Amino acid sequence: MSSTNSHLSDQELLLAADGELPPIRAEEAASHLAECWTCRVRKGEIEESIRDFVHAYHGDLDPLLPSPAGPRALLKAQLAEMSAERSPAPQDWRIRWSQFATIRYAGAFLFVTVLALLLYFRPVFQSRQGFHIVPVSFPEPSLTPGVTAGVNRDQICYSKPPKNRIVPASLQRRVFEEYGISGAEPRAYEVDYLITPALGGADDIRNLWPQSNSSAVWNARVKDALEDRLHDLVCDGRLDLGTAQRDISSDWIAAYKKYFETDQPLQ
Amino acid sequence: MPGIAAAEKAGSSPQPTPLEEEVVALFDQMQDRLLRYLLSTGVPIHDGEEIVQEVFLALFQHLQRGKSRRNLRAWVFQVAHNLSVKRYLANRRDQQNLVEPGEVPVEDTFIDRAPNPEDQLAGNQSQARLQSIFRALPEQDRRCLSLRAEGLTYREIGKVLNMSLGAVALSLGRSLARFARAEER
Repeated sequence: MSSTNSHLSDQELLLAADGELPPIRAEEAASHLAECWTCRVRKGEIEESIRDFVHAYHGDLDPLLPSPAGPRALLKAQLAEMSAERSPAPQDWRIRWSQFATIRYAGAFLFVTVLALLLYFRPVFQSRQGFHIVPVSFPEPSLTPGVTAGVNRDQICYSKPPKNRIVPASLQRRVFEEYGISGAEPRAYEVDYLITPALGGADDIRNLWPQSNSSAVWNARVKDALEDRLHDLVCDGRLDLGTAQRDISSDWIAAYKKYFETDQPLQ
Repeated sequence: MPGIAAAEKAGSSPQPTPLEEEVVALFDQMQDRLLRYLLSTGVPIHDGEEIVQEVFLALFQHLQRGKSRRNLRAWVFQVAHNLSVKRYLANRRDQQNLVEPGEVPVEDTFIDRAPNPEDQLAGNQSQARLQSIFRALPEQDRRCLSLRAEGLTYREIGKVLNMSLGAVALSLGRSLARFARAEER
């Protein structure tokens, strides 16, 4: 390529465009390009091909990209959790703590006693992080208050229907851990959205809970029916989206009774 | 909505650390690009979103440990690429209907979706032609092109895909030659 008689290869043209040729070869390439119309035309063709490809690439894929709000909120929550797990206790607190040996031993004794009692009453209380009753038909509000993705009615009703997604396995495990049922048989529970994405619910651990499959009455199928009903009401303009989100997140069974005007699930 | 208000309160109560804020800022800059790249290689959208989350959690740990901050853009693409390959291989092991080794099923990549009638009416033949050429490229060449479309330099593409600079240029040159040949027909 050092000779003006031999043309630059496509690879050399590409590397030259990115400033990746060694300095001496870059100079040779520049002087060759200044003299050679063939290579200049080829360089223009390459740039045009890349431009066309980038245009097609974005045109095809950009419409598929979801709103970043939900993933962003999930990431923030997970980062906060990781920071909290890693934060060491302040040094001065540790020093002071070491000075109160009696209190520490008394605390340890109390802890062991409470732990023994909890293990004894294990069927009632279970959780890694707190003492929550294992959910059957209803989520624990402190763990699953319900979170929305900040979408409006038009996005819900006129865009592609956002059916309930399959919750990724790693997130499912985290939900089980949150609820202290990490050792449970996976088929016994279905990790479900409290506010379904079809009503603007977010992909956020605070919007997910393990719904028991053992409940014969208020089970996942009944909740699915409520979600469909609320979606229809919102899109028909008969119910405000915020009200639908509020009702399903605060007490979905009460919401079912309200919107189906029944005390028992319909068959 | 009491539940949602509580969630917002809970989410905002602990002040984010500067490192958390930095990672979230990088997520804002990069998440669309990473997800688009993963989609272009045939990763389903839900897996792609999960991979992107994993990437930024890994980045957080990487920075928390005081590791190198040099070229984080290439770093996040590299981790996303590795995770997608790992996940693909794991899925392959779990599934009976396998595809060829090392190949992401090409029918899942962005180029396979046939143009809809509106596109055809609009005369978007150029885009369809590019898509069909892209579909016919080897997997590595498709990945190089997608990363180039995401604005990575050849050196960065080489780092992400574990290829030499020359191999990247050769791959892109080969792809562009195919575009050019198709243009001539």
